Amino acid sequence: MGRLRGMNILAWGFLALVLLFLYAPLAPPFIKSFGGPNVLTGGLLANYTAILDDARLLKAVRVSVIVGLMTAVIAPLLALLAAQAVRSWRRPRLIVGILLLPLFIPGISMGVATALFFKLLGIPPTLFTIAAVQVLWALPFAFLVILTVMANFDQVYLEAAYMSGAGPLRAFFQIELPQIHSGITGAAVFSLIISFNETIRTAIVQGGHNTVQTYIWSHYQQIGLSPSMYALMTLMIGGTLLLLGLLAFFDWRSRTRD
Amino acid sequence: MKLSRRFALTRLLVLGLPLLVTAAFIVGPLLITLAVSFWRKKGFGMEPDFILKSYELFFGGPRLEVLERSLWVAVSSTAIMLLIAYPVAFLVANRVRADLTRVVLFLFAAPFLVNYIIRTFAWADILSRTGPVNETLVWLSLTPEPLDWLLYSDFAVYLGLVTAYMPFMIFPIWLSLSGIEHRFLEASWMLGEPPWRTFWRVTLPLSMPGVFAAAIFGFVSAFGEVAVSLILGGTGYQLLGNAVSSALNVLNFPLAAAISSVATGMMLVMLLLWYRLFDIRLFLGKIMGRN
Repeated sequence: MGRLRGMNILAWGFLALVLLFLYAPLAPPFIKSFGGPNVLTGGLLANYTAILDDARLLKAVRVSVIVGLMTAVIAPLLALLAAQAVRSWRRPRLIVGILLLPLFIPGISMGVATALFFKLLGIPPTLFTIAAVQVLWALPFAFLVILTVMANFDQVYLEAAYMSGAGPLRAFFQIELPQIHSGITGAAVFSLIISFNETIRTAIVQGGHNTVQTYIWSHYQQIGLSPSMYALMTLMIGGTLLLLGLLAFFDWRSRTRD
Repeated sequence: MKLSRRFALTRLLVLGLPLLVTAAFIVGPLLITLAVSFWRKKGFGMEPDFILKSYELFFGGPRLEVLERSLWVAVSSTAIMLLIAYPVAFLVANRVRADLTRVVLFLFAAPFLVNYIIRTFAWADILSRTGPVNETLVWLSLTPEPLDWLLYSDFAVYLGLVTAYMPFMIFPIWLSLSGIEHRFLEASWMLGEPPWRTFWRVTLPLSMPGVFAAAIFGFVSAFGEVAVSLILGGTGYQLLGNAVSSALNVLNFPLAAAISSVATGMMLVMLLLWYRLFDIRLFLGKIMGRN
């Protein structure tokens, strides 16, 4: 009995230690965002208000939001269509294989590849090319989320709808969608998070448009990090955690309603 | 009958077209990159050709050292990640109460979704000469002066890589482990096998699809790394991704394409191996339903 308890303590201690290492890096930007010379003269939030004075940065925020929303709409839609195709056709391995491919390509390779692809097709870098890269990166995650939800949906309901005379569209919108929509919302939030946190792929295809992430990245490479950069990072971490909370809420709600 | 044929055709179009476009956007760039890797660099641009110059530049110069280092760092850091991710996944699958599983998995996923470059900047602060780790060590008199090897070292790079990519490796392993039939374990127990032999002969082999998928993800991510090596490795510490970005900086697109293609090619070989060894439906069976 004593040995079993010892093992349990060891197991939980191990999990806690791993979590400590995973969460430790979330703290320094927060602490550093209240440091620097500006805070002494301009008050505790000086580094945060400095963000608002940077026109280039505000533009980057706008780009991030637009691209993020595009990704959050397009990726789940494509993922839903692909997941439907996996179920309808009997060749799931090929579709799953191709859609999960971006997960296994190094970020920079994917960036270079898409940049060359657009360059040779004569498509100039715009918000759409940035969104395209981010959609490709978010797609495997969105796809897995939607596949999981659709696996829990019993297809008997669809057959019942067909037998009652409903067409495929009506069966989907009235029967299936209400049951899987939490998964689609989840995939959308997931895609938004992925988009907000993407740097390397975006940096290669961005052209003249910075997202917040690539702005921080190029700022670091050119002149290093300033306290207001840390304030920005803190906001990004906070935003990501907030979205994750939203995700957890959707998940919890869809579970308690069943 | 007529209606169902029209339905099948519509479905083919509605589902097939977007899928085709998506596939083209995923596979097309990789093929174009492969083609460009044989092109000739010309001034600030490039022109179509079929030469091996970029590959000679890559395999013949000092970049070969970068390739060797990337391979070694990727293999060894993947091994470390597996040694951490496997026990975590095992504990989550076997020790954590079923109703808590999602919460615990979520706790491990959350930091992975925070931009890893921000997390890497944070490690640079934590490990620096004036950072909290060194200050604590000096304060406890464990070391007379701040340790130099904490930052801009192999140690820092490994720490950065492991914390960046290990969290995501927990999921495929957990997926494999939680799909194992309990009857197999019971059978082994009834035949009188001790727990460690059951683990070695039954659990571990059956979890291999997840382990292998996780390993490919970890390997590829570390292999093509840019940010962790730049921020935590210090000047001169180059992994394959840094070689690509320095080729981009001097506008040598064919070289960047060649290095990229080598990385993608290695990934494809490993994925094909995975595909031949394991049945993807066995692994994703829970997710994909009973197709």
